[in-house]
Order: sequence, then structure tokens, then C-alpha cells
Amino acid sequence: MKPSISLPIFIYYLLCLGVPIFAKVDFVHQVMPVLKKQCAECHTEGKKKGGLSMNTRNEFLAGGEGGEVAVPGDPSESYFLELVASEDTDDRMPPKGPGLSKEEVETLHQWVAEGMEWPEEIRLGDSGWEPKLKPRMVDLPNPTKERTHAIDRILDQDLIKRNAPLPNPATDETFLRRAYLDTIGLLPTPEELDSFLNNESKTKHKVLVDQLLSRNISYADHWMTFWNDLLRNDYTGTGFITKGRTQITTWLYQALRDNKPYDQMTRELIDAQKDAAGFINGIKWRGTVNASQTRNMQFAQNVSQVFLGINMKCASCHDSFIDRWTLQEAYDLAAVFAEETLELERCDIPTGKMATPRWMFPELGQIDPKASKKDRLKQLAALMTHPENGRFTRTIVNRIWAKLMGRGIVHPVDAMHTKPWNEDLLDYLAIRFAKDGYDLKKFMRFVMTSHAYRSRSDLLSEEPGADYVYNGPLPKRMSAEQLMDSIWQVTASHPKNANAKVDRSRVAKKPTSVEVHKFPWPDKITSKWIWSKDQASKINLRKEINLTEKPVRAGILATCDNAFNLTINGRSVAQSTIWQKPVKMVQRDLFKIGINTIEVEAEMFGGSQGFVAQLVLQNEKGVQVVETGKDWEAQIPGQSWTPAHVEKDYGQGPWHKALQNRDIQDGKTGAEPPVRASLVANDFLMRSLGRPHRDQVVTSRPSSLTTLQAIDLANGEILSNTLREGAKNLSRLENSNNIPVWLYRHALGRTPTEAEKQTLLAVSNNLLNQQGVEDLLWMVFMQPDFQIIR
Amino acid sequence: MTSFESIQRRDFLKQLGLASTTALASPGTRLWGNEQIVHPPARADSCILLWMAGGMAAPDTLDPKAYLPYEDGLEVKNILSTFPAIDTNVDGVKISQGMENIAQVMDRGTLIRSAFQPDLGAILHSRHQYHWHTGYVPPLTVAAPHIGAWMAKVLGPKNDVVPPFINIGQRLEGVGEKEELKAFTTAGFFGSEYGPMNLPYPDQAVQSVQPPKGMEPSRFSNRYKHFQKLLNQNPNRDHLSDFQGESMIRSMEAAHRLLQSDEKHAFDLTREDKDSASKYGDSRFGQGCLLARRLVEKGARFVEVTTEYVPFLNWDTHENGHTTANRMKKEIDQPVAQLIHDLEARGLLDRTLVILASEFSRDMMIEGVPGSSAPDQSRARTDKLTEMKQYGLHRHFTGGSSIMMWGGGVKKGHVYGATADERPLMAVKDPLSIEDLHATIYTIMGINPKTAYEVEKRPFYATKDGIGKCAKGILA
Repeated sequence: MKPSISLPIFIYYLLCLGVPIFAKVDFVHQVMPVLKKQCAECHTEGKKKGGLSMNTRNEFLAGGEGGEVAVPGDPSESYFLELVASEDTDDRMPPKGPGLSKEEVETLHQWVAEGMEWPEEIRLGDSGWEPKLKPRMVDLPNPTKERTHAIDRILDQDLIKRNAPLPNPATDETFLRRAYLDTIGLLPTPEELDSFLNNESKTKHKVLVDQLLSRNISYADHWMTFWNDLLRNDYTGTGFITKGRTQITTWLYQALRDNKPYDQMTRELIDAQKDAAGFINGIKWRGTVNASQTRNMQFAQNVSQVFLGINMKCASCHDSFIDRWTLQEAYDLAAVFAEETLELERCDIPTGKMATPRWMFPELGQIDPKASKKDRLKQLAALMTHPENGRFTRTIVNRIWAKLMGRGIVHPVDAMHTKPWNEDLLDYLAIRFAKDGYDLKKFMRFVMTSHAYRSRSDLLSEEPGADYVYNGPLPKRMSAEQLMDSIWQVTASHPKNANAKVDRSRVAKKPTSVEVHKFPWPDKITSKWIWSKDQASKINLRKEINLTEKPVRAGILATCDNAFNLTINGRSVAQSTIWQKPVKMVQRDLFKIGINTIEVEAEMFGGSQGFVAQLVLQNEKGVQVVETGKDWEAQIPGQSWTPAHVEKDYGQGPWHKALQNRDIQDGKTGAEPPVRASLVANDFLMRSLGRPHRDQVVTSRPSSLTTLQAIDLANGEILSNTLREGAKNLSRLENSNNIPVWLYRHALGRTPTEAEKQTLLAVSNNLLNQQGVEDLLWMVFMQPDFQIIR
Repeated sequence: MTSFESIQRRDFLKQLGLASTTALASPGTRLWGNEQIVHPPARADSCILLWMAGGMAAPDTLDPKAYLPYEDGLEVKNILSTFPAIDTNVDGVKISQGMENIAQVMDRGTLIRSAFQPDLGAILHSRHQYHWHTGYVPPLTVAAPHIGAWMAKVLGPKNDVVPPFINIGQRLEGVGEKEELKAFTTAGFFGSEYGPMNLPYPDQAVQSVQPPKGMEPSRFSNRYKHFQKLLNQNPNRDHLSDFQGESMIRSMEAAHRLLQSDEKHAFDLTREDKDSASKYGDSRFGQGCLLARRLVEKGARFVEVTTEYVPFLNWDTHENGHTTANRMKKEIDQPVAQLIHDLEARGLLDRTLVILASEFSRDMMIEGVPGSSAPDQSRARTDKLTEMKQYGLHRHFTGGSSIMMWGGGVKKGHVYGATADERPLMAVKDPLSIEDLHATIYTIMGINPKTAYEVEKRPFYATKDGIGKCAKGILA
């Protein structure tokens, strides 16, 4: 069916409508308004519903999924005219609203008949902005006064242009709390607060940032949350039960602790370094899945989203309607990872077309489709981290900026094709980050030492939309993990055990003594991983040996999933809480002639359990080897001793050959810092507070507290138990009369007013007993001033 | 915020008062595009989903076929139903023995006998339940909202004090496949304001709206009173206020309003008249039905009551199916019928849609549909019966299942669709897909099945890709 208005009738319409018949339609004044009002929403900028994009004349003429829709000079061949005039509401364009008036239809009709004049420089969408691929150098504007930091030079220029005031600096209290929570996810203690306030050095803000960023363990603890969300890593969840998924926890934590450069991290993730492979391998679901959720497609989607802020999800089923990515590009990227040749499926229907392993930016180089999977991944890793890949650096600096400053320069952070609110700033930061060796901490330091970061927050009465303009950092709601960590910190009520298997030992010295290296260790280890027969998290193990000769030296090689304390003849010899780092030591005078008792207290934090050891007693004649096995005894505390249960032979199980790991320790490791929320499995309260179920990549958390969350905070069991334990701890630690002031200073970074103090005491009729302290804690932790980082 | 949404929000705010301000101010999700979605007029204001978790066998419940009693040596391929059929109060409509009470309320609703599900390679409860509850087959690239979350999001709360989406009877901890259950028991990308209030134990539901264990109500309200005082005394309150902080305070208010409201008594089953309570029996499911009724009376929007999914328990009969189905019918028959009676007596049935459904049906022989490659999961495989535990429908059948709908908006005493009378018992008349089923439910509730919200800059529809079409033959 084609439009069938005859020319006489057409002219009749025009006469009736008062349109001058013989004057040519004016594109800008007559056609543009119609297109803007009726078409632009679905067919411009990133959007192209039905595959049709109308930003420019050429795009419009190129047509949509069903072929061409407009033919200059030929209204009867211009299908779109039929659609806009249709009476059938199923077909009509636009599908919603009252549709075009007859006058508007006729304007378009005439415009087509006259050849569709549309000047090249005019775009229907608001902007012609396309993200650039390559890095772009930015000339820095002149600084305003002493504000010479590059970030301030760029932002100040923009503020001045808008006649907006330069944001005032935040108070030291606010800055301190913000800097602590942003870097290490903990609150400053009252002592730390005092020392910062009393410090009169002009450089104290910079010094503080450096100090915080050098707290490697706390930094890793805090940023684990961000990276776990981004890399879809968790300790429990879909897929683990069927081994369709593996963690990257140990690798990730170590990378953060060591501040591994981001380009290196990325390369290790993409080319699936041991322990990091869980990321690209994704989740293998049971049963069949739709074509967009195979592991190959998950790879394409996650690699694009995480490293480039590109959404390949639409394009995994069909050419994207919202941006430029095509089905072919999604499959080609998936093919880099795939073992087999991939056939394109459009919305689950095979198309007969095959994918070629390649990526989306051949300008930087291309993947060799004939290479092995291993090599293809290596090539992709190199291309992704190519120095000329500006999208890679812009994506990560934008993510970090959003975390520190409350909103991305591109928002949302996963839609990097959106125009940034300050392109110069984004491009500058990206170049800077690369120049600084992709050093995440250095970049954070760079942002945090700007006046911008130190500014007072921009307090908005409504959530900003697309019209957002910068007027200072935005307040951030604490993540579930920050909230729990802060509460645990204030009340000293941390959980005992972490689920994440990570190395948090403060002392990471490697014993390299010659004695350990030269010791005659046997070539073979035939020890067993042992535990008690009945499962328990805490057990004792023991072994007695009868010696006729006193050994000259004894070598001890042992480890335990997760923790052990080994004593010999009542003397504590070695402890460890890191199964990946075996204790390896050589000692004298441990053993005596006669009966010797080796005792082990062993503890499992969750998951698998086992203790393994090899003791080598050296005497004049040679060595005697004692290994863990079923000839040891085990006991659940308070119960009777039974023969030890062999969990696995050495070399098997999740631990592989842990005793031969290169990374060893001397067994005198100091205690680990308290367990943090990012390292424990998701629980009811954290889930309720927005910690995601990490089946998918999640890059932003909800910014508002909801009613259901508020109910959980008001009466939930987890929090009320924490407060009860916390109140007990506080009563032990602090003189109860000091609690209100101490608590305000620790939790909120300020001293309560006299009136507030009265209220804090009045809740328990000035008793400050156990219940009073519980209520007081609740009243402080529930305040927006506590839960929002301003 | 789009201009349309701002108008819609203003209207909502007027209707709903302050509590819902928080709900509507939740960020992150906006209607897709700027187009005005025209919603159909609502035929019901509340929805109760009675969830027969684990795969309720239609031939042994709502769609009885030829019955063969247990007999040693009986060839299983001859067995279609393991219970005889009984009459209902609708002429010509029979259901399975053991559902005598439900048989007497069949005239209040429509029996759908032609629902079917896709074959996902392996028939898995978690994935099919996800599909049924969200309209989408997992895995997905975004977290899909539960059907209850859609109602909460699009319709808002019916009474602004009562959470709009309440989920009764399913534990999410300490059961098998708990992660898979959590994956769809959620508002997904809508955010938790629209998520379920989970009440796994109906008799303990009141704890969710009470002060924490060990805290007297007076202490609880005293604590909140002082908290509010502190907020007002905060010297920074005026110049350090922002939308995050204000919404936090509003949510805290809304929570305490519920916790100190009369409506909270709806959660307390001990307040139900003894005679009336006893009619629901003492099973967890029966108690859940009673709780659902009390909540709907007070203005809950969507309530799900489940027989609870636990792998290999309840309706999930991989062996001993006949005996288990007998027990399950005993568990549901009386409370379901009583729920319908009670809603009717209170004048609520006309505006409440009650749905009884399951993720798929079961069959003695066929896993999936004929020709499916899905692995057989029966634990009692045999050609001829030698013991009772082999007698029952132990395979997961996706070709035809039954759903009962009562109340608001559906035809009364009506049967929609049919399955074949001989194996395979496929839906042969008016087959109803999940998409069309959801479109029907949404239409009844006054939600356009093409409603879409924006996630990651793309549309996400109430029915998959907006393709669901309302089965008009079900509507009154």
C-alpha cells in the first residue's frame, strides 16, 4: 500500500489548509519542527528505532531495518509518508500521541516532492557528538589565582564562563571524613580527627591523601567492593554450585594491594591469567541459554562494558537500536573468545552468517583470526591497552571520578557514547592517567589533591538529570559495605571470619634465610590434608613421635585452610592464616629424646578445610620425615580423640601443591586487621542495602534509602544484634559518660551541640545503660549525616 | 525526569500522600521514551498469586485424565492420572480427587488448561520459576523485575502504609538453589523500593513490623521520637540538606508509619478470630493464605503465597508422586477455597485477582515435550510398577499445564483452552504462552503489557519485548 493522494486532492488540501502552494517548503522553519516534534525522540542521537536513524539526510535516506523509507522527489515511493498518515494505530508513526496533523503530513509530502532539501550542516539531534577513539591532548586554560591544579584550571574556566561561583572549600572535618571513606572505606577515629584539625601545615590535605592511599590493606579492602561489582566477582551465588563459575578473589585482592597498574590488570583479565580467568569465563548456566547469554557472548558483553563502557547487550541479539554497534560486531568480538566458529543468530534465529574473530576498532590494529584462542586473547589484551586507545582510559578515569566526585563526567558510567559534561576534563584525565603508568592510586591522588575534590559538596534538592552542571562534588550515599564497615569500626563488632580467600597479613616478609634454602628438604611430599572425621570449623590435631636421638635441626613446612597454630612439646612454633603461603622454617632444640608431641589448633573459615605438614628431623645420619596422615589424631574441642580423616592427598583438592608455593612465610605473621564487609558473603542486610547479586556486571548502586530498607534498619535482626554487641563493646572501651561526644566525633566528625547531647542522653533517661547505648548508636547511625558522604 | 513522568508523579503524589514520595523519587528507572503509555482500565486492584512451587502435575490436579489405580505390574506408559476425577460446581468440569473444597469454588473463576512453557534444554525449576515470575528466561544481561515489582512500580501501593509487594512462604536462606531463588525474588533494576517484603514464616510475619526482638514498643517509639528530635536539632540541617538526605528521612518516616500503624496488625495472625483462622488449617501455606487475605484487606497490591520451593520436596516429585500429590492437595485444598470464600464475603473478590499456578506440569513419561533432549530426572524409573513409590508423575512436562484464576476481571465458571486426552497431553486448544499469560494478568490489573522502562538506555518491557497479547477469552 502506497500513499494514494492524487495531485488535485493534494492541492485541494493545501488550499484548505492555507499553505502557499507554489512556495517551496522551508526545511529549517517548516520541516525541522515537525521532524523534531514527531520523529526525533526515537530516531536521533543514539536512538534508532526500527534501525532508522534521522540525524542527517544521509542517515534518513539510508533507511531502517525494512529498507529505504524516503526517496527524494518521489512521495509515492517514500514509505514514511504512508506511515505518518496512516489511520491504523498499529502502523502509524509516531506510535504514541495524537500523531501528525494533516498540515504536518502535507508539509512533509511537499518537502519530499521537492527533493528533500536538508543542508548538510544541520543535524536533527541536539549534537553530533561521537566519542573519539584516540586520546586527545588538551590545552590547559590559565589558572585562577593559586588554583593551578590541572583539574581546577579546567573546571574553573567552565564555572567562570557560566558566571558560577568557585565552590568554597569544605571544612577540614568534612574533607577528612570524605577522604577516609573514599580511599579506605573507614571513618577517621577521634584521635585522627584531632591530629588533622590541630595540624597547621598547609600541605596537610595532600599529606593525608598520601597516607591514606598507602594503607594498602585498607585500600584493597575498600576498593574490593567496586571491583567485585565491576568484574562480577563474588563468594557465593549462581553458578558456583555446578562449578560453572570461578572466583578471581585472590588475584584481585593482591592486584589492589600491590596497586597493579590498570593496563596490566586488564591484560591479565583478558588473556585469562591463572586466578583471573573467572572473569572472561563468565557463568556457565545449566541447560540451554539464549544466544545472547552463551559464555562467548558474555565475554563480548562484559569486555565491552567493563573496559570501554560500551553496551553490546542490544547488539548480541540484533543490530543495536540505540547506538552504532551491530550484531556482526558483537559476534566477532565473541569469536575472539570462542573455541568454535560462531554463527550469527539474530534474536535466537540462525542467520547463516559466520563470525570472524576481531574487535571493533581496527584503527588500532586487528586480531589475527587464524591465531589460536590463547593468542587471540593476548592480541585483544594488547589492543585494549594500546596507548592510542583513549576509550579504554576515559572509561576507567570516568568510573573513578564518579566514585570520588559523586557523578561521572559521562553519566551513566556505562554509556560512554553519551556526551561528557566536560570533554576537556575527561580527555585530560585520560591522558594523564596513561602518562602516569595507568596507576590507579596515583590517579586518585591526582583527583583528591585538587581544589575541586576539597570543595564543599553541591547539595541538590533533586536528583540531577541530563541538564546537570558541575558546581562541586556531589554527596554520595555510603555503600552497604561502607555502612557495615563504619558501624563495625565504631562498635568493634567485626565478624570473625572472611569468606574471601585473600592475603591480608601485615607482615609480608619473605624468609629468605640461607638456612631454609640449604636445608635438606626431601624431594617428595607425600603428606595428606587432614581434618576431623566429623566436620567442625575448629579442631585440634596431634601426633606423637618417639625419638632415640636428638635432632640437630628440624625443618617445618605446613599450611592450613584456613588457620593454624602449631606447638611442639607445648611450645608455640608457628601460626598462619593464609593457606596460600606455607610456613617454612628451620629450628633447633624443638625435639628431645623420648616422646615428643606435635599439636595443632586448626580452624576453617568456610568452604573447604584441611591441614597439611611435613616435618623433617635432621640428625647426624640423615633425615627422618614426619608427615600428616591418618596416623595423626583429631579432636573436636571437648570431644574424644579419633584417627584423623584424610581430606585429600597432597597435590589434590583446591590447594594443589600449596606447600611448594614460592610465596612462603616464617610462621610469625602478625594478626590481620579486622574483617571487612567486602570480604564476607552477602547477607540479608547488605542485600537489602543494595549490595547486588553479582550475576551481572553492576556499576552503580542505588542512591536512595527505600522504605523496605528503612524497615530493615529499624527492626532487622542483623543490625539490632550488631548494635547489642556493639553497645557491650563500647561500655568496655569507653567511659559511658564520654560516649555521646566520642560517638559523634567518630561517626559524624563533629561534636554534638548541647541540645543534641541532651537528646542523646534523654533517650535512656540519662542512664546510658546497655539499652541506652544501643539506642544511641541507632540514632546516630540512622542519620543522613552518617550514611551520606558529603 | 521526563515531562510526562513529572505529571504522572504529581498525580500520584496527590493520590498517595507523602509516603509514596520516596517510592516515586527512587532514581534509576524511567519510562522508556517520552511516550504516554495508555493503560487499560483496571479490572482488579490487588493480586494474590498462589504459587505451587516445584511443578504441580495438571493431570493429578486441575486437568484429570484417564485414571488407573495402583496395581503391581501395571505398565506405566498407560498411566495418565493417578487420581480419579470429581465433579465441581460447574457443569461438565471435573478436577482431581482431593480438591473437593476447590471444586466448590470453581464457579467463581476461569480454569486455564492450556498454559505451556519453553523447553530450556534441561527442565530446571529455578530457571522456569524465574521465567514465570519475571516473563524473561534467565540468564539475562540485566536483573529482571518480578511481576509483583512491576505492579508495585507501575501501580504504586494501594494503601501507602502497606508495602505493595509481599512474598509469603519462601525461605531464601537455608534452602537448596537459594541463589537462584533470590535472582528472581527481586525488583531487579527497578531498585529495592519495589522489591518484595519477604515473610517466609506467616506466623512470624508480625516480627517484620514489630520492634526488634527484645525491644518494648515503648522503647521503640521513644527511640524514634528522639531520633527525630536529633534531626531537628542538627545545626546543619537547613544548609546541609540534599535529596539523598531528605529521601532517607522520608523512608525512615514511612517505615515507622507502618511499624506504628493499625495496618501492621494485618501481619499478626494471632489477631484473627479463632474460628475463622482454623478454616485455613495449620500448614504454613494455609497460614500464608490467611495472611494474604488480611494484607489484601488492608490494601496490599501484590501478594504471593508459595507452597515453598525446596528441591525434591512438596510439588517437586521425582518419586513417590502419587502419595506426595495427595498430601499437597490436602495442604492447599481447604485454605485456597477458604480464601476465595472470605474474599467474596468481604466484597473483595470482584477487585482481587487470585491466581493459582506452577512453573510447569508433570507427566508419567515425558520430560519436557515429546522429542525434547532434556535429561530425564525421574528417580523412580520403571516400565512396570513394582512398588508404590514408582506411582506418580515424576517427569517435568512443559507442553500443557493448568492455571486457575478467580475474581476481578475473569469469567466465572469458565474453562479456557484444553489439553489432549491421550499422551502427549499437550495444550491443543488456545495455547497460552507466558508472555500472553502475563499480558492477561497485567491487563486485568490495569497495566499495558507494552509498558517499558529504561535500563542501560534501552527499553525493558512488562512482557518480553512487549509482545504479550491479552487472552481476551479469559476476561469477563
